[in-house]
Amino acid sequence: MSLLEVSDLHTHFVTRDRDDRIRTARALNGVGFTLQKGRILGLVGESGAGKSLTVTSILGLLHPPARVVAGRALFQGRDLLAMSASERSALRGNRIGFVVQSAKASLDPLARVGEQLVRVQRAHARRSRREAMERAEAILAAVSIPDPKRRLAAWPHEFSGGMAQRVVIALALVNEPDLLIADEPTTALDVTVQAQILDLLSAAVRGRGIGAIIVTHDLGVVAQYCDDVAVMFAGSVVEQGPVAEVFPRPMHPYTQALLAATPERLRLGAGLRLGGPPPNLYALPEGCCYRLRCDRSRDVCRSAPPLAQVGDQRAACHFAREPAEAEA
Amino acid sequence: MRRALPFLLRRLVLLVPLLFVVALGTFVLLRLGGQDPSAMLAGPTATADEIARLRAQYGLDRPLPVQFLIWLGRVLNGDLGHSWISNRPVLAELVDRAPASLELLVLGVLIGALVGVPVGLISALRRGRGFDHAARLISLLGFSVPTYFLGLALLLIFFYVLEWAPPGMGRLSLMLDPPPRVTGSFLLDALFAGRWETAQSAAAQLVLPVASIAILCAAPIIAQTRAIALSVLSSPPIAYAEAQGLPPRTIARIALRNAATPVVTFIGAELVGLVGSGSLIEYVFAWGGTGQFGLDAIVKGDFAVVQGYVLLLAVFSVVVFLAVDLLVLVLEPRAGRA
Ligand SMILES: Nc1ncnc2c1ncn2[C@@H]1O[C@H](COP(=O)(O)OP(=O)(O)OP(=O)(O)O)[C@@H](O)[C@H]1O
Ligand SMILES: [Mg+2]
Repeated sequence: MSLLEVSDLHTHFVTRDRDDRIRTARALNGVGFTLQKGRILGLVGESGAGKSLTVTSILGLLHPPARVVAGRALFQGRDLLAMSASERSALRGNRIGFVVQSAKASLDPLARVGEQLVRVQRAHARRSRREAMERAEAILAAVSIPDPKRRLAAWPHEFSGGMAQRVVIALALVNEPDLLIADEPTTALDVTVQAQILDLLSAAVRGRGIGAIIVTHDLGVVAQYCDDVAVMFAGSVVEQGPVAEVFPRPMHPYTQALLAATPERLRLGAGLRLGGPPPNLYALPEGCCYRLRCDRSRDVCRSAPPLAQVGDQRAACHFAREPAEAEA
Repeated sequence: MRRALPFLLRRLVLLVPLLFVVALGTFVLLRLGGQDPSAMLAGPTATADEIARLRAQYGLDRPLPVQFLIWLGRVLNGDLGHSWISNRPVLAELVDRAPASLELLVLGVLIGALVGVPVGLISALRRGRGFDHAARLISLLGFSVPTYFLGLALLLIFFYVLEWAPPGMGRLSLMLDPPPRVTGSFLLDALFAGRWETAQSAAAQLVLPVASIAILCAAPIIAQTRAIALSVLSSPPIAYAEAQGLPPRTIARIALRNAATPVVTFIGAELVGLVGSGSLIEYVFAWGGTGQFGLDAIVKGDFAVVQGYVLLLAVFSVVVFLAVDLLVLVLEPRAGRA
């Protein structure tokens, strides 16, 4: 049984425009990927591709007008999308740890760090304050925060960005989760601190033998820290598989463009908009979503692309098995 | 509370230049206004000689800076001058009347907040539903009704038509004597003295003017509390609390604590901001507090009273903001805050 198996996930934003007509933004269009225990999956894609939305959909953290309209997300065999809100809430912060992007903005400004660590433990387990405080101290030490006993009494604003990020990782780990999800855990940090945090995060995951999803813009991060990769475009996973197979031989034209655009640093950013703007979510093109930006687009791309599989690598493209012309 | 004392001292030191500027400002504005009180005092039949004598008597013939310095020196000795109209010391007049205005304002804002804050919170939680729409409509009505009209309308309905409330003729039924003065609030003093009938009458007289103030301040408090609650509910700490699977009650508590400071600050500002409307309400109900007295003095050009009144308002606002800051210090025990 996979740790997490997401399939055919559709999330829409349903709003009314000024003329009271219903408008639907199809932000996720059949997202699917699989994560095995003990592995780290990198979820990559340009801004607006739907990476965060995938995570919040799975965790049941959507607010109107966003709504999951179809799909399954099996976590240890149980469908997260079919269970009640309170069942899901019992898993969040407990079996599934979540690492936010902006730690300093997300920690409760009016509670000491120790208190926040105690709070998340006692929300999910019967545990005395004393015992919870001891665990809190241990977990702060585990994420390499110096002088953890004293830092328990510190307020969030007294931490630097990097240290606050460690606190958030501690909060995610303190209940010994089976799955860790980190949404761009380092974008708000200095480059030097970024590496430390990612080292810490991957060591924590490896050391515990749990699974993790790291959402990132940075293909370099995926290459260095992840076992698997899922590439998202316009609300779909266009290609996925082990990093060791996808990076040397990308099958989807979008993955190829990503990897070709910044060969040295493999950095993903505004530069990856080379092919043009992302498609309009209110009126997605029929067939392949990428075809308007794809230089290999043909008539056949107006029909939905099949899923081509080579080994463990899968790509949604009509030409997935043909070698890329632009490769050089 | 170890941090409260130096904080208080710092604020009190700031008070001095503030009061000086306020005093100077009022003085200059009034004298530039060009009204000559001596002519009014002397009456229509006075000769030029008589007017000149009056001007000399009140020092109005001296240069302005000298007039100001004379006045300031007296103020520092607790002498705010004499009212030209009542011929009593200004300080005594203000001290006599301040409790009446204060009880009106404080009670009104307290009740307005006790109603407005919960309504605003529920409104935010039920955003876009029936309760929210109703609360916003009521709040809008409260915003748009003119102060004067509100007081008169309440009198018309509850005194004239329904006969539930006593007439708006002061702080006590004309048949009763005021209780011995302790706090200056007739209600409290009557209770202290054990004079139940007097207390009852004082309370009955309070109802309509206090209700007016409460309605006037509930409207903005509802709107502001709702806005603050909505912004807190959509803030990253609340989203993160949900991502940690914290129970709804814990999340509600986190949200409330984070909303408390801005709401309390706003209510403090309302208390100060309502002084003007309070004066009008005092007029409608012949309340006879500092509000009505000060307004009267402005209309009649009673310089010394106006200056004293404005100074009193400055002190009042400083005291209110000081109290708010102390309360925030309690609500937000974060170290290292200035
Ligand atoms: N209220 C809304 N109505 C319509 N579309 C929305 C709304 N909110 C978000 N979206 C769309 O949902 C899509 C998914 O956004 P998401 O935040 O998941 O992107 P992302 O891949 O995480 O991007 P980033 O790298 O910038 O974090 C975006 O294209 C965005 O435009
Ligand atoms: Mg995102």
